[in-house]
Amino acid sequence: MNIIELKDLHKIYNETEVEVHAVNGVDLTFEKGEFAAIVGPSGSGKTTLLNMLGGLDTPTSGKITINNTDISHLSGSQLIDFRLWNIGFVFQAYNLIPVLTAKENVEFIMHLQGRKKNEREARTKELLTAVGLGDRLNSRPSKLSGGQQQRVAVARALASKPKFVLADEPTANLDSKSTENLLDIMERLNKEENITFIFATHDARVMKKARRVITVEDGKIVSDVRKNGDE
Amino acid sequence: MNILIAWRNIGRNKKRSLITISSVILAVVLSVFTRSFQEGSYSKMIENAVGKFTGYVQVHQKEYWADKMLDNGIEVNDKLINDILSTKGVEGLNMRLESFSLAAFGNSTKGTLIMGIDPVKEESMLDLKSKLIKGEYINSDDQSILIGSKLSEYLKLSVGDTLVLLGQGHWGQSAVGAYPIKGIVKMPAPDIDRQIVFMPLKLSQEYFSFNNGITSIVVKFKDSDYTQTICDELNAKLDTTQHTAMTWQKMSPEMVQVIQSDRVGGILMIAILYMIIAFGIFGTVLMMTEERKKEFSVMIAIGMQKSKLVLITLYETVLMNALGIAIGIALALPLVIYFNINPIEMTGAEAESIEKLGVEPVLPTLISAKIFINQIIIILIITAVAAIYPAFAILKMKVLKSLRH
Repeated sequence: MNIIELKDLHKIYNETEVEVHAVNGVDLTFEKGEFAAIVGPSGSGKTTLLNMLGGLDTPTSGKITINNTDISHLSGSQLIDFRLWNIGFVFQAYNLIPVLTAKENVEFIMHLQGRKKNEREARTKELLTAVGLGDRLNSRPSKLSGGQQQRVAVARALASKPKFVLADEPTANLDSKSTENLLDIMERLNKEENITFIFATHDARVMKKARRVITVEDGKIVSDVRKNGDE
Repeated sequence: MNILIAWRNIGRNKKRSLITISSVILAVVLSVFTRSFQEGSYSKMIENAVGKFTGYVQVHQKEYWADKMLDNGIEVNDKLINDILSTKGVEGLNMRLESFSLAAFGNSTKGTLIMGIDPVKEESMLDLKSKLIKGEYINSDDQSILIGSKLSEYLKLSVGDTLVLLGQGHWGQSAVGAYPIKGIVKMPAPDIDRQIVFMPLKLSQEYFSFNNGITSIVVKFKDSDYTQTICDELNAKLDTTQHTAMTWQKMSPEMVQVIQSDRVGGILMIAILYMIIAFGIFGTVLMMTEERKKEFSVMIAIGMQKSKLVLITLYETVLMNALGIAIGIALALPLVIYFNINPIEMTGAEAESIEKLGVEPVLPTLISAKIFINQIIIILIITAVAAIYPAFAILKMKVLKSLRH
């Protein structure tokens, strides 16, 4: 069952004199439980595509349907709410709230959803234990390594029980060991809890783990390979 | 959690928060202190010249205030007294007969203000017993008088001496009399102390040949805040073709003017101080907003509504300034209380100019919740204005652009 459908998606930037066609007629679908990577060289349009999927950017034309909702026409405030309840984000630079502890960072998003305190606390503990940080609940981001911060970010992304998680270059700032560890955690969560992960990356280690690799060049999809061999 | 984030953000840049909080503390202490001294001196001025002398409201014969002649006095009648006493809020009244006469002792003469009073009723108003520095207080039936200490010094007389008075009585009759001095009072207003002669009302009526006559009725009531209301109600009740009630502001416009012009000067000074503080607070808010644009954009990206984020930044500014206000008040309050109990005594030319207004040359502070509340309101207004910038920045924020910041 498709949870995401992109139809004839275009994104044209004309901030400068030269018009840039960042995304050029993309048609794409994602099913629940996918572990997919959107790859391509710098400037290929993969991050733009990911941003539009996450409702952070709006397409110039085309349609984005997530769980039967066309998000291309939602207002700014509706989009924020949509993101809160449907999408988890993992950013390249972790982007945790610096004044909150690991536990509070994960709880924060559930607080925005208005979930009850005992539910928030139980899920936070469960998620941070799942990413191997059960003993660092009360540490502030500044006291955690890059790898640990990114694992907190993954826990935060999952806290809202999203339909899917978007991760933009999640391993770009991590060393090999931390990358390996983070990818193992995400793969496990994907397999055990059927959580959909979509990455934008040019990290070969992520591509290796992904079960579907979508290659983007000049705003167009040039290949869409599933690891079982289907294209 | 929003308040928790706001609170922790204050501790994030400790130096900057400390500078902002300190500037608020300084503003509160300085403004409360200055305003308390200002209002304290006005209150002393009003208390000396009004509360303990003329009263807050007086009733006169209609023409009396424009032409203070005995011929414009009132012949006391029951209806007038009942009308005044039955007015809502009025607790009592004191009748006075006032006019000028020439006083002589030995070879010295001096123009004096003769005030015929009810010695019993005036105990709660003029409170002359406490001002008595020599001799005894007068009784209603006494044939003797009290005089101001400076007048006694000028005429070089003391208790037991006889003062000769010469003036004009009712309907042009001569007023002549010689009265033994029963006591000497020190009036707080030096100008009054130099010329006052108190005599029992009955004796003054005999002296001025004005039987049952008075010139003014001091209306007594509890709260001076209701001065205008009581005056209006009296005027509604009295036969205004004959009598009129006046507030102290109408009776002493020069004092009102002095207070008003001085108050404006003080407020202007404080306004400048607050403008400097406002720029400081705005600077902090501006830096805080610029530094955290990316953080704000992440919060919006993961699902926080912009309006909630605006609230967090507002909480931060409010918390920081509330802390400054609380410490500022805690520091200012003991100072204000101390100088209320131990007022600064003025000397030199400044003291003389104050004395000329009929006021004791001391500078006490006024302990008034209103002064403290006003400072809180001003700081909160500054905070609200300063919070407009981050609110605007957040509401207009392009999330994607700020994420790349």
